[in-house]
Amino acid sequence: MPENEPTPKKIGVYLCRCGGNISDVVDLQAVAESLKEENVIVNIQDYLCSSAGQEKIKNDIEKGKVDRVVIGSCSPKLHLETFRSMAKKAGLNPNLLEITNIREQASWVHDKESKEGVNSKARGLIKGAVARISSIEALVPLEKKLVDRTLVVGGGIAGITTALELADGHEVILIEKQPYLGGHMIGLSKTFPTLDCSQCILTPKMVAVHNHPGITMFTQTEVAEVNGSPGDYSINLRHSPRYVDIEKCISCGACARKCPSGAIFLPFAQAVPQAYMIDMSKCKNCGACVKVCPRDAITLDAKETTSSVSAGAVTVATGFESIDPSFIEEYNYPAPNLLTAVEFEEMLSAKSKTGMRLQKADGTFPNRVAFVLCAGSRDFTGRGKKHCSKVCCIYSQKQAQLVKKMKEDAEAWIFYIDMRSAGRRFEEFYHHTQEKGVNYVRGKVAEIIPQKDGTHMVQYEDTNLGMKGREIFDMVVLCPALVPSRGTKELADKLGVPTGDDGFIEEKHVKLDPVNTLNQSVFAAGCVLGPKDIHDSVTEGISAAHKVSQFLGKGVILIPPEKPMILECNGCGDCVKACPYNALALEGGKAVLSPLACTGCGICVPVCPIKGIEIRNFTRNQLKAQLKAILGEGSGVIVFIDPYAYAAADIAGVNRRQYSSLIRFVSVPSIHILDADVINAAFEYGASGVMLIEGTTDEKLTSLSDELYKKLKKETRKHKKPLRYSHIETAQYEKLTDLLNVFAAQAGAKAGKRSRKEQANDKDPAGEQG
Amino acid sequence: MKKETILPESRDTAFRDLIIRTPGGENIPTCMQCGICAGSCPVSHEMDYTPRQLVRMIQLGLKKDVLNSNTIWICTTCFSCSVRCPRGIHPTELMETLKPIAVAEGIKNKNAKFDNVFSEVIKKNGRASEFLLISKYSLSEPGMIKQAPFGLSLFSKGKLPLSIDKMENMGELDTIFKLGEKEEEKAETKKNVEGKEPIEKEKGNAEPEAEK
Repeated sequence: MPENEPTPKKIGVYLCRCGGNISDVVDLQAVAESLKEENVIVNIQDYLCSSAGQEKIKNDIEKGKVDRVVIGSCSPKLHLETFRSMAKKAGLNPNLLEITNIREQASWVHDKESKEGVNSKARGLIKGAVARISSIEALVPLEKKLVDRTLVVGGGIAGITTALELADGHEVILIEKQPYLGGHMIGLSKTFPTLDCSQCILTPKMVAVHNHPGITMFTQTEVAEVNGSPGDYSINLRHSPRYVDIEKCISCGACARKCPSGAIFLPFAQAVPQAYMIDMSKCKNCGACVKVCPRDAITLDAKETTSSVSAGAVTVATGFESIDPSFIEEYNYPAPNLLTAVEFEEMLSAKSKTGMRLQKADGTFPNRVAFVLCAGSRDFTGRGKKHCSKVCCIYSQKQAQLVKKMKEDAEAWIFYIDMRSAGRRFEEFYHHTQEKGVNYVRGKVAEIIPQKDGTHMVQYEDTNLGMKGREIFDMVVLCPALVPSRGTKELADKLGVPTGDDGFIEEKHVKLDPVNTLNQSVFAAGCVLGPKDIHDSVTEGISAAHKVSQFLGKGVILIPPEKPMILECNGCGDCVKACPYNALALEGGKAVLSPLACTGCGICVPVCPIKGIEIRNFTRNQLKAQLKAILGEGSGVIVFIDPYAYAAADIAGVNRRQYSSLIRFVSVPSIHILDADVINAAFEYGASGVMLIEGTTDEKLTSLSDELYKKLKKETRKHKKPLRYSHIETAQYEKLTDLLNVFAAQAGAKAGKRSRKEQANDKDPAGEQG
Repeated sequence: MKKETILPESRDTAFRDLIIRTPGGENIPTCMQCGICAGSCPVSHEMDYTPRQLVRMIQLGLKKDVLNSNTIWICTTCFSCSVRCPRGIHPTELMETLKPIAVAEGIKNKNAKFDNVFSEVIKKNGRASEFLLISKYSLSEPGMIKQAPFGLSLFSKGKLPLSIDKMENMGELDTIFKLGEKEEEKAETKKNVEGKEPIEKEKGNAEPEAEK
């Protein structure tokens, strides 16, 4: 049990210039000056994260000069772990080191603001951090045992790779939405840049998954519900009926021969699992298949079932889908002989319905084929997608090569904006395609007009010549934007993992942590992280497997120690009823916490009628002390922000989205720990407005937010200052900064009005503070 | 038009910045030269520079070439380019920005004549009259005589009515035009930067609307 040490704390404040990134905007010297009376050690470095910078702090700790550390630098999401592991090595409890973000939340977002505005904010934030660090307890993270099992969601090449790489050391459950493994890759023909056939390289891996004793595989299965906490999830799976028992079916095909409506079939020859399935929209329920099946494998009245699995880690490998290009009116999709690249590919793949023959709707070979790149991508108007889908430049050239290979005198045209062939062997592939006589036109196709005879007129500008052109083609292939597969957002929300504004899952760090997510027990691989080719998907599958293995290998998971402490209890049970995670119970007439079930959301804090519950290190008094110090350096808007929304503010910083320097973020584990006590204190200390910004997608919390807001609004009304709640997910950083600006202006206007009124009442011309 | 070498002296960055600052021009720097505007344009083959090329020339600040091009006068304002541009550039609006600048710069273009005749007719009657428009334009453009048989056939089908429709309360329209002229004069006297005045006028129009 940590006790309050009697000796005065020796606080060290270390400020980072970040090579000018911070010091060009924030006057760090002035910040240091302002701390003179605080009895702290202040030090300014060019790069605190460098070995020299870390060494300085480490030395000060080891020599006993400091025993608590405040760092003013970049976002804690970037380097908190770096500094805390340094502190640990130096013999300091890592939790006694905290970072104040003066880069993403100050220098990068206020460089158009007045110097004094930014400086008073920086001084306030640092002083707030000093006040906070001097009052916190030296807590130790809690340990929880991990479940040594991984759920891999998605049976495409990324998921298959992750599962196979992991399965020798850890138990794996692999689920796939489709009735077979292989994802998009099994629907490909040849693969660039080597032109080896997709099924030749993928089928052995699919079979290996099926046969591996360490992998349990479920097809036609999706995640229905996620319960539990990181490291110890209980996940409900939903299985759609196949009507054929995979274990019993020997794919003899007797059923298909008997079926009068073609409803029972093998998805394709190499499908894994090798079992027939029924398309119920075609089935006439005659029962002929049931009678003829020698293994009694068919059950026509099978229903959707559910099951529950426990897993310590989850890998999301749910891949992509191609956007439906029918919103591009001028392209007139869908029409006969006007296909997407995925449809073109499938015609020539294992899943082919034409016997792997390239053919038009009338069954003949297309002699003139056009490939139209960037259909719905690179669009910043909101009509299409902003991002480049990365693989289209190369796969369209591969498809063009296939056309030429099947018929030498056939024509293949590629309409492109920029031919992107970065990466090993790709420029050579481009060169080779040119040699094959494929015609490249630099220009985005303007119109595709279906003709009566099934051909299509393509209108474009050849931008190299500045001349408009029209051509007739037998077949036009659109290369649409690739987007995350349907349901990615819902799954991400269930797992508490943020997605970007493009819908793809956010990596923990764009460059340095590419397969980790912001949830330490959730990993991702493949196209769910952005469009990519097979090579990169496999690389990420292997990486994710390594990261999962590293995570599970520790055996335990560390849980933040900032949990509720029950100081006083009258046994009313309100907190027990309020806890959404069943972490509280009444024992002997008193509330008792099971810390491992608790997520630290703090809902119990404001519900306690006798204010007997506080969150460790986020107690009312600790928050008030921090607020007082922040606002002592000049009025501003206090924004309580949870970790998910905090990530949005970081992205705003990285994108240099400017907002008012009146904004002062106060990081809280959840906005639900707040009550009127704390908000009123903020107003009393001079805040011109208070915002609560919540980013979590946990419905157990967000469903209570409105109520919380209304209650707080009522209980803080006497101050006549604005209070606002908003839900901002990590991806919505643009919305966040717009909101901050509007609110800061509102709060400022209201404060101005109030001060004018006060002046009029007091008839005091000198008063200027609002 | 004879094309010239692009030299530092042919680039006018003030002109470029002015166009980019004009409402609707802010996305011009993001043009990726995909050419969907020119491919969509029903009349780009008549232009000496396609809309795509015009945007590129503005990015470079090739003021002389931009203002002398017939592109801005040939545009039929069908808006296909603006609707389809993946970068949110509005070539149609851009033409409307450039026209008054070209006029203010005293650049004569035979394609500008039709615009002049059109606004004259509107000024006088408050409404467009096909008959007046065509007869006046034919007088100023001798080549139009070749179109006479076509005009006759239009007339015989009742597509070219002789009646001249006039707006009620012409006085109100006069007031609007006079106000516009006054603004123009004011801008003229304030004129510091070359070619700035038409933009000022545009801004004056845009602001009250934004307040609504």
